[in-house]
Amino acid sequence: MRRGMVIDLEKCIGCRSCVVACKQHNAQPAGNWWNRVFTPGSARHLTPPQKGEEYFLPVHCQHCQNAPCEKVCPVGATYRHTDGTILVDFERCIGCRYCMAACPYGVRQFNWEDPKKAMKKYGYQAGYSYGYPKDYRLDGRLVYTPVRPKGVVEKCNFCVHYLEKGLDPACVRACPGKARHVGDFDDPDSKVSKMIREKNGFTLLPEKGTRPNVYYLPPKRKEV
Amino acid sequence: MSRSKKIGFLVSGLIMLAGLLAWGFQFKEGLVLTNMRNSYTWGLYVSGLAFFVGNAAGGLVLSSLIYLFGVKSLKPFAKLGALTAFANVTAAMFSILPDIGQPIRLYNMILHPQFRSPLVWDVLVLNLYAALSLIYLYILLLPDLKGPLKKIALKVDDPKAFSEKWARRLAPFSLVAAVGIHVITAWIFATQGARGWWNSAVLAPDFVAAAIASGTAVVFVVALLAYGLKEEFKEAYRTMAVIISVAYFVHIFFMYNDFLIHAWYGATEALETLSITFIDYAPAHAFEVLAPLVAVILLLNSKVRSSAGAMISSCLLLIAGIFTHRFLLMPGAFDKIPFTINPLGMQDTDWSLPIASGDYGSLVNTFVTEWHYFPSGVEMIIFSGVVAYACFLMILAVDRLPIVSEAKA
Repeated sequence: MRRGMVIDLEKCIGCRSCVVACKQHNAQPAGNWWNRVFTPGSARHLTPPQKGEEYFLPVHCQHCQNAPCEKVCPVGATYRHTDGTILVDFERCIGCRYCMAACPYGVRQFNWEDPKKAMKKYGYQAGYSYGYPKDYRLDGRLVYTPVRPKGVVEKCNFCVHYLEKGLDPACVRACPGKARHVGDFDDPDSKVSKMIREKNGFTLLPEKGTRPNVYYLPPKRKEV
Repeated sequence: MSRSKKIGFLVSGLIMLAGLLAWGFQFKEGLVLTNMRNSYTWGLYVSGLAFFVGNAAGGLVLSSLIYLFGVKSLKPFAKLGALTAFANVTAAMFSILPDIGQPIRLYNMILHPQFRSPLVWDVLVLNLYAALSLIYLYILLLPDLKGPLKKIALKVDDPKAFSEKWARRLAPFSLVAAVGIHVITAWIFATQGARGWWNSAVLAPDFVAAAIASGTAVVFVVALLAYGLKEEFKEAYRTMAVIISVAYFVHIFFMYNDFLIHAWYGATEALETLSITFIDYAPAHAFEVLAPLVAVILLLNSKVRSSAGAMISSCLLLIAGIFTHRFLLMPGAFDKIPFTINPLGMQDTDWSLPIASGDYGSLVNTFVTEWHYFPSGVEMIIFSGVVAYACFLMILAVDRLPIVSEAKA
């Protein structure tokens, strides 16, 4: 079983519901964004590019099969789960940020300060909290915690804390365009494998040799 | 104790203390006190690692020249070489320490070392080299451990012969370990395919070349301060000037060899990376090349070599140039977003995907494609503290141990 995701750019309407759902469900500290939706070609982030050239590109951790972040981690805090997902152990990370230098996709975020202080700085109302409220351990390792320690790195974990409940990642469930699909990449007959085969699935930065477990389906036409 | 030593102790001790306090403050508040952010994750502290590792090369140069290549004129400086090596390799480790977000968890490096990580290799080789330098220094000191120091002396029949024999035996290992610290430190960067600026086969040899230049310059300065300008050391100073010069030219050759290959082929990504160093950081690049060049020209001049002050200034100029070179390790890697694509259906467009800055303020963008890094006050104070530590340790050792005794004899 190799868990992978397919994002159909034809179906993505650019609403960024996945960004918000991801941020909320994973209790991401102020300023941290595991999931982003880009407007490639635009002069400024979040604004449309030239008319007729618009498309949207959601990006989060690509859960690479040849993951530089996993290989550089000196303490194995970033590690690969049996289903191929790359996870971060919040209790083991020493905060050297080597993984952030190593990741070509810029999806890793550091907790530069105490998240509680950051919330205050960002102007959140006192007492406001969000996200899955409990710690989640996988084989004893803390792969999700609603309150991050200061000085550790974090990133998309394919919502590992929902997996045993049989739930798909928050971004998949929240997508109103139904552009996101998860499944088994090892099984050639799975829905996701078929989509990649039949709709010319491609990966990001193939020249970096990272072999991502996230595939994209090209849009047939642009939003007009 | 001489007046100049007292001033040296006081100044370096105070700066060291300030650095320690600044680190304590940063430990409490988090790395938010630095000017690094998500798109620019390594700065002065990691540049400092590369800088101090390079400075630690002095021990290697001296011990191998004396005991492997028979350059006898350098022998009086062997102890200083081992001392600067130890001071700088430990300073390298102290420089990287404040870069760690969770320093208390560093025991995980021992409990769960992950041997695929070049960082684990580097920690191993730096510690090995620190231990070797210390053992080397001890062996060289052995014949002179007299009076109250006799307690720590190894009981052997003929300390002089013993010291000579073991210094010679250890020299090849010290050479391997010393080349190792530069090569492995370079591999931390050179292995990273995500950063075109680092991902080059020439980085490791270039680290060795730059290290031999700056490491020898450090020994040169310390030797001049300890021994002054004496007729008997003229030949030793000349030899060191030649080593520094050759190493500098090899370094420049390696660097421009790499630039030329990428500039000629002209891939957009490579040109953008080069433009950071050549255009955005043009004055710094000019300094990293020209300052050591001027220093080398001066050091090769026998008239300059008749003034201790001129030689010290030249060496410091060279060290400043190599420091700038180490600082420039970061902008080329982090001022450009590795995730740059040609958007579907667009002609001649390279588009960088913004990164969440991790910072918030009325004027700071939430998502950025560039981050202008310059070390914060806290970073500079902590870094100065590490420089002061190396100075303090060297003054202390020279004051308490018979390191410069041969000159008096």
